[in-house]
Amino acid sequence: MAPHHMSDNQTGNAISYKEVNDDVVRTMTETGKWYYIALAGAFSGFLAFWILPWAYQIYKGQGVSGLNTPDFWGIYLTNFVFWIGISHSGTLLSAILFITKTPWRRSIYRSAEAMTFFSVATAAVFIFVHMGRPWNFYWTMPYPNQRQLWLNFQSPLMFDVFAISTYATSSMIFLYFGSIPDLAAVRDRVTGWRKQVYSALALGWRGTDSEWHWLFKAYTFFAVFIIPLAVSVHSIVSWDFALSKVPGLAKTIFAPYFVVGAIYSGSAGIVTLMIIFRKAMKIEKYITLNHFDKLGMLLLVMSLLWSYINVIEVFTGWYANTSAENETLIYRMFTTPYAYMFWLMIVTNTILPLLFIFKKCRTSILACLVVSLGINVGMWLERYLILTTSLPRKFLPYMWHDYIPSWVEISMTLGSFCFFAMLFLLFVKLWPSVSIYEVKEDIGIPMRRGGGHH
Amino acid sequence: MDKAVLGLFTYADDLLDAAKKLEGSGYDITIFSPIPLGHEIEHKLGPRKNHIKYFTFIGSVAGLFFGLLLTLGTAAMYVIPRGGRPIWSITPTLLMSYETTILIGVMFTLMSFLFFSKLPSFSKKIYDPQINVDYFGLLIDGNLRGRYDEVERILRDNGANEIKRVEETEYNS
Repeated sequence: MAPHHMSDNQTGNAISYKEVNDDVVRTMTETGKWYYIALAGAFSGFLAFWILPWAYQIYKGQGVSGLNTPDFWGIYLTNFVFWIGISHSGTLLSAILFITKTPWRRSIYRSAEAMTFFSVATAAVFIFVHMGRPWNFYWTMPYPNQRQLWLNFQSPLMFDVFAISTYATSSMIFLYFGSIPDLAAVRDRVTGWRKQVYSALALGWRGTDSEWHWLFKAYTFFAVFIIPLAVSVHSIVSWDFALSKVPGLAKTIFAPYFVVGAIYSGSAGIVTLMIIFRKAMKIEKYITLNHFDKLGMLLLVMSLLWSYINVIEVFTGWYANTSAENETLIYRMFTTPYAYMFWLMIVTNTILPLLFIFKKCRTSILACLVVSLGINVGMWLERYLILTTSLPRKFLPYMWHDYIPSWVEISMTLGSFCFFAMLFLLFVKLWPSVSIYEVKEDIGIPMRRGGGHH
Repeated sequence: MDKAVLGLFTYADDLLDAAKKLEGSGYDITIFSPIPLGHEIEHKLGPRKNHIKYFTFIGSVAGLFFGLLLTLGTAAMYVIPRGGRPIWSITPTLLMSYETTILIGVMFTLMSFLFFSKLPSFSKKIYDPQINVDYFGLLIDGNLRGRYDEVERILRDNGANEIKRVEETEYNS
């Protein structure tokens, strides 16, 4: 076999082309007992913690949740924003790194994009949960009807329907079309039912020059579309809140605040997921410490940005000095139990990530795991605080009422993590979760005369 | 029946040399590779056109107008008076159109990709599964009667590891 080796690639190891195919196909075909245990656990968690309580809620009515006047937005929407936020790094980061031709993108982007797609799906289900009567979902679609009743497109909730469905569609297309050459590589290696499935999925890809040419052109356009789309999606999610007149929600900084927060929590999600993924799939040679080093730098930058905006948000509220704004700030920052959550959020999202100033921490798997999990706890709390400290403290004190989530809501929150884990576990078995052809590009093009260039 | 010739190469530069020579002599060639060689091929064989961009543009413009039509049209069809506020409100209309511009732009890009790359295609075609692992392939077809020796010599001279005369083979063989 020819020496398809290069030493200065991102992975830092000498890997041959064939080895890449072998390793990726191995992650799909060789399944240990722990995989099945994890999948069974995630599936039962999904059933027990999400589907059953949801069925109970649908049967009994929305009253079983803690939602009541005036706090109609609780954990369900916290989870919705959280999962949409998690989704924001995968595809967005992948598109930005693709356009800027960043080499360390190549071995992580596929699973990051899958993370996007699955977390959008999880988020979307929370809309249905929050809706109370999910079977009326079609009312949000513009369809001709006898009464000629159309949607009110001036509502941010309608922007959301369009933004999120566009985002889910585009992310799926981005993920799928970037995978076609790899699906073909898998097709050539497997037998039985897998052969039929991957033959269909690969669309008859042969790797001709013309196929590559058009794929690359189309993929570039997808990436160019994805970047403004992702920014618009989370801006629109923020306007669901910011276009109201509620103190603590009506803030002009909300759109950039949410976009930054989304990229921040999404990148932390990628770090957590990659740590588990590389260990479980034994692909440490593809996802190396170098990747964590780069992601750590990104987290540090996002942490500083997020902290800055957070300071500005508190500052503008304080500077406005209206009684309603002041009340919201005091309620959020100095009243139990919210004060604990607020200051914990500051510790996990502002102070802890400063560890990433040091390369030693960025390249330590333990430090990465602790910080990234901390950030996600903090980001979840951020969304929880935004929703639960604003509506319960609106202008008229006689309406004040503390929001206390019910067991149904807490259970469905747990269930959403099980649902996400289940989808991701299925993904790593059914899809080439590391991009075969782009890792090969990273290894370099084999040239007889002189080394391959990138 | 005529057979095509498929040469398999280990090195991309060998493949490109052979491709240039054969294309110069007027043969129909198809290059196969496990990784995109766009940059290298354009360098060697000249730049290629990018028709997709026109479709992306048309799709985006269509999406923009679709969004405008949807928001403004439905507002006009079912008028909801709100204390003197405009029925045709600009900001939300632009927001909706922004999303539909992207959505339909992506759809048109997708369709034009499938059209130009001639995918999906499940008919039997010449292919070698090694190409998806670590070989570069060069397929010469068209009317080769009496010219096999020349083609194979050029392939061999340029370092092909394996040269095969192939018919329309089993698809995934």
